[in-house]
Amino acid sequence: MSIEISGIKKRFGSFQALKGIDLKADRNEFLALLGPSGSGKTTLLRIIAGLEFPDEGSIRFQGEDVATRTARDRKVGFVFQHYALFRHMSVFENVAFGLRVKPRHTRPPEAEIRDRVMRLLGLVQLDWLAERYPGQLSGGQRQRVALARALAIEPEVLLLDEPFGALDAKVRKELRRWLRTLHEEMGLTSIFVTHDQEEALELADRVVVMNLGEIEQVGTPQKIYEEPSSPYVFDFIGNTNRFECRVVAGQVEIDDWRGPAPEHAGVSAAKALAYVRPHDLFLRRQGEGPGIAARVRHVFAAGPTLRIECEGTGGRLIEADVPRHAWTALGLQPGDLVAMEPRMIKVFVEGEGVPGF
Amino acid sequence: MNKARDLARDSITEPRWVRVTLTLVALTFLVLFLVLPLASVFTEALRQGVLAYARSVVEPDALAAIRLTLTVAAIAVPVNVLFGLTASWCIAKFEFRFKALLITLIDLPFSVSPVISGLVYVLLFGAQGLFGKFLMAHGIQIIFHVSALVLATIFVTFPFVARELIPLMQEQGTDEEEAATVLGASGLQTFFRVTLPNVKWGLLYGVLLCNARAMGEFGAVSVVSGHIRGMTNTMPLHVEILYNEYNFVGAFAVASLLALLALVTLVMKSLVEWRFGDELATGGRRH
Repeated sequence: MSIEISGIKKRFGSFQALKGIDLKADRNEFLALLGPSGSGKTTLLRIIAGLEFPDEGSIRFQGEDVATRTARDRKVGFVFQHYALFRHMSVFENVAFGLRVKPRHTRPPEAEIRDRVMRLLGLVQLDWLAERYPGQLSGGQRQRVALARALAIEPEVLLLDEPFGALDAKVRKELRRWLRTLHEEMGLTSIFVTHDQEEALELADRVVVMNLGEIEQVGTPQKIYEEPSSPYVFDFIGNTNRFECRVVAGQVEIDDWRGPAPEHAGVSAAKALAYVRPHDLFLRRQGEGPGIAARVRHVFAAGPTLRIECEGTGGRLIEADVPRHAWTALGLQPGDLVAMEPRMIKVFVEGEGVPGF
Repeated sequence: MNKARDLARDSITEPRWVRVTLTLVALTFLVLFLVLPLASVFTEALRQGVLAYARSVVEPDALAAIRLTLTVAAIAVPVNVLFGLTASWCIAKFEFRFKALLITLIDLPFSVSPVISGLVYVLLFGAQGLFGKFLMAHGIQIIFHVSALVLATIFVTFPFVARELIPLMQEQGTDEEEAATVLGASGLQTFFRVTLPNVKWGLLYGVLLCNARAMGEFGAVSVVSGHIRGMTNTMPLHVEILYNEYNFVGAFAVASLLALLALVTLVMKSLVEWRFGDELATGGRRH
């Protein structure tokens, strides 16, 4: 089922939670809403579920306007951040709930309910815990019960609010993979909210980066990572070095280093922000070529690439990722002077309507 | 290991003699002000033997008082359960204006002297009261009638259920209700299948306290009852009348029934606390 959202605005008292959101999730798409707390991502998810109503704007499921439908009638699967399992019901009854509250004429007979619940519990590999109570389960198990419960009403849309937020790293990774498979096998349209960029980039078909009630950028994980559309997204996604600099006659100037900024060829002189990923910085000894002047401070030597922490002019911290063999070849020590040359640089000029200044 | 723990405890505790003295003082007070009076109620009641005791309890006026007390409680408690549930549901699960005002109003009966509560009803429904003429004209009697007793009792026991449930429901939040809604449950289904089962022990706790107070209430009831023997005398009022007539055995016999009720309530309350303590509100042990 496709979901189309247009012009959604929502205000809580004096706080504008959503400032006009347009978004489309295609059928069978897996979408991530990514942003810090207060960015409006959870509000948007709740509005899609019908738990919250927008002040303005429309929501369509498969072209059909559902704005006036309550959560009860939208038939979406919703997994709450803290699972919201019914604490006084067994795991079995939790999953059966959605079937038991159906009106008499559409309610499946008891035998079928039993069948379906056990099948779902089998799917989440928890059939052996059917008689337990939520309080007796681990976090990961509760999460899967919550999923099975949401899937019991056979929704075509699955919404998840910070689905892995409360789990430890290992369980999280397993569940992620498993959720992705589930999404594909069941032909769901899924939207999940997260503040964890790694999670969003790994799991989703497309990532929606949100900030202060607005969408900053929508795109595939690769696109978001490689071509962030604003300083905000650059700051938020992945590790990055940020330089306050100038653009003069189509060239970017960071300290003594100059580089091409062809997209700003028309700018004669302006303040700018430049972003360089740590793995796009090339290191050499000072005097052996161009680069931003800096001094090596620390070397973090764990892993296949080394993280080199350097100090630039005015104490500015610059991080570079250098392959192990290249670092060995350089033979640098902390305290040595280096030139750091950006191989890829993204420059945002002040006053172009770019937020983040 | 044990030694270390003892040392650690020593650093935050008082010397032995201080502890013993404090404990003794507390126990002395308990015995003087709680245990002795309670025991004396039963000894006084049984002073002239079991037969005299039984006779005072089954005497028609006493029976009428017991019946009336039970009737009043049987009306007041369910009414306040209903009110308490709705009020706490509204307060805990929804946002609306004047919520703080509603919470304050619920507490009002706790802060007003019961005598005043009774007087208010006299001023409203009495012969000279605000609605007195209207009621008289239509042949409705409230003051000096069972209805006044019920009204006054409801007023005085108003907060017990609500005060127990509000913090409990607030603590539980609305997540489970939202989950139920998304799964297709109606408002009533959500209430009876999710909200109510989650607060059932808290509710029982509130009902126990509410009931104990409803049966034991004296002040408010005294003002509106008119003390008509066999008609508008509840047990506490009956005790007072008998006592004023120097019928000590009778007075203490009926009083012992009330004391017994208190003890039963206490035991049940402790049972609920002991067994389901974590399902009660954190501030649940206030009264």
